[in-house]
Amino acid sequence: MATISCRDFQTQHEGTNDALRDVSAQAHIRDCASCRSFIEDLGAIRSVAHSLEPADAEPPARIWVSLRAQLEEEGIIRNAAPKSWFVERFGGWFNSLPRPALAGAYLCALLAIAFGLSGPINARINRQRWLDGTESSTTPLSAHLMSAEQASFSSPVASESPVTASLHKNLEIVDNYISLCENSVREEPDNEEARDYLYGAYQQKADLLAQMSERRLNAEAPGQ
Amino acid sequence: MSTTELIPLRNKWKTGVIIPSLLLVSAVPVFAHNIEKHFKVEPHSVVTIHNPNGKVVVKAWTKSEVMVIATHTSDKVEVDAEQSGNRIDVMTHQISDSISPEDLQADYQINVPEDAELQIHDDSGEVTVANVMGDMNVETVGAGVDLEDAAGYLTVKTVGGSFQCVRCSGRLEVSSISGSFKLLSLHSFHVHAQTSKGNILFDGEFLPNGIYRLKNYSGVIEVHFSPGDSFDLSASSLKGKVNSQASLTPPSHPQNVPKFGNAILGSFNSGHAKVELSSFDGTINILKRN
Repeated sequence: MATISCRDFQTQHEGTNDALRDVSAQAHIRDCASCRSFIEDLGAIRSVAHSLEPADAEPPARIWVSLRAQLEEEGIIRNAAPKSWFVERFGGWFNSLPRPALAGAYLCALLAIAFGLSGPINARINRQRWLDGTESSTTPLSAHLMSAEQASFSSPVASESPVTASLHKNLEIVDNYISLCENSVREEPDNEEARDYLYGAYQQKADLLAQMSERRLNAEAPGQ
Repeated sequence: MSTTELIPLRNKWKTGVIIPSLLLVSAVPVFAHNIEKHFKVEPHSVVTIHNPNGKVVVKAWTKSEVMVIATHTSDKVEVDAEQSGNRIDVMTHQISDSISPEDLQADYQINVPEDAELQIHDDSGEVTVANVMGDMNVETVGAGVDLEDAAGYLTVKTVGGSFQCVRCSGRLEVSSISGSFKLLSLHSFHVHAQTSKGNILFDGEFLPNGIYRLKNYSGVIEVHFSPGDSFDLSASSLKGKVNSQASLTPPSHPQNVPKFGNAILGSFNSGHAKVELSSFDGTINILKRN
């Protein structure tokens, strides 16, 4: 029986769990150490992925609801755009959350996404995950962060302090890199390095927003 | 038209008295408040400094004592320096609800034992630390940070402030968004420097088993090396250029060569240290030291 090539084998089986059901694949694995190793790697990745499932890469909708509501309440962003479905649905949850926790929530949410999707995994699987998961995760994320940025630029507080102005200026710089990296990743979904830069930029933006939120809270309660 | 022309002659004597008096009175608020405090400490003391705006200068001395000299001009802020065990907490805090950024300014000159650990937070202004061998954490927004002859575990984080480290050793981790870094005459075994829109200059030793990671999004990363240095080099710029004057031995695992962008990989001499340089669209220059 003619056995299939390594390329065909890996293309057919990279995203499935059916490698050993196919007779030609079984024959190929017997003869090919490289593909045997490939299948073993896939198995290891799957088992790790299963163990990570509870830490969902997409943060719960209430995180976004909470953050948005908090930023609106503090005047950092304005409610210019119509609320999304999850805001409508979960909006009431916000008030029950403690305020100090919100300052770092952006960062935590972003880190969850970044670490959840940037693990040491096969490049071909990365591509699929980007197409399936990353884009859908980062699109609402990007929209929320962009909204926060635009609104905070129009905030009168921004002009009061050179430090606040510096934070906004640097936020603009990070936004620019996010945009550049997003373009780069869209053009080359297999480019893991570009994706790392994108996540790094998101992380920086989250860090900055958390800093700004913390400063605002401190300003509201001086001496505490 | 001068002010004198508006005042009748017979009142000139009054003018001579009143105007200087008024000037004197109006000058009172800008008189500086000077505070000096001394604290006896044990070895490995910790000094924390929180200052929203102003210069913070920290120098090591041979005494087992921390000396804090603070200067501020506004009555709307207060300077606290307190001891809690072997820790000294120095803080500028506002005592008025309405306060301008200028009012927040306070300058510090602090002397600490050589082995002191420092935690400094200074939003804007300038941070200078010299000859302190303890661990150090510095965070600023716009303030530049200058370290000289520092050792220990050094972590520096700025938003837009620049960073310079001269003759530092130990472990260095520095990050910024738009600040540039100069790492000169370094003797560190671990350097991790990342800035988004800033230049990075590294002119130091590559110690055996040392790891040197420099990363930016744009700007120039420049690394100087000597003929006797020994390191494994990985330099890649996704959208920019990589220029190297180092004659490298190609890597034994060619599959590690990045598929995208421009990259140079290889060993210089025996490859004892690990040097990783990466940029999104910046330029990387690996140059022979003059």
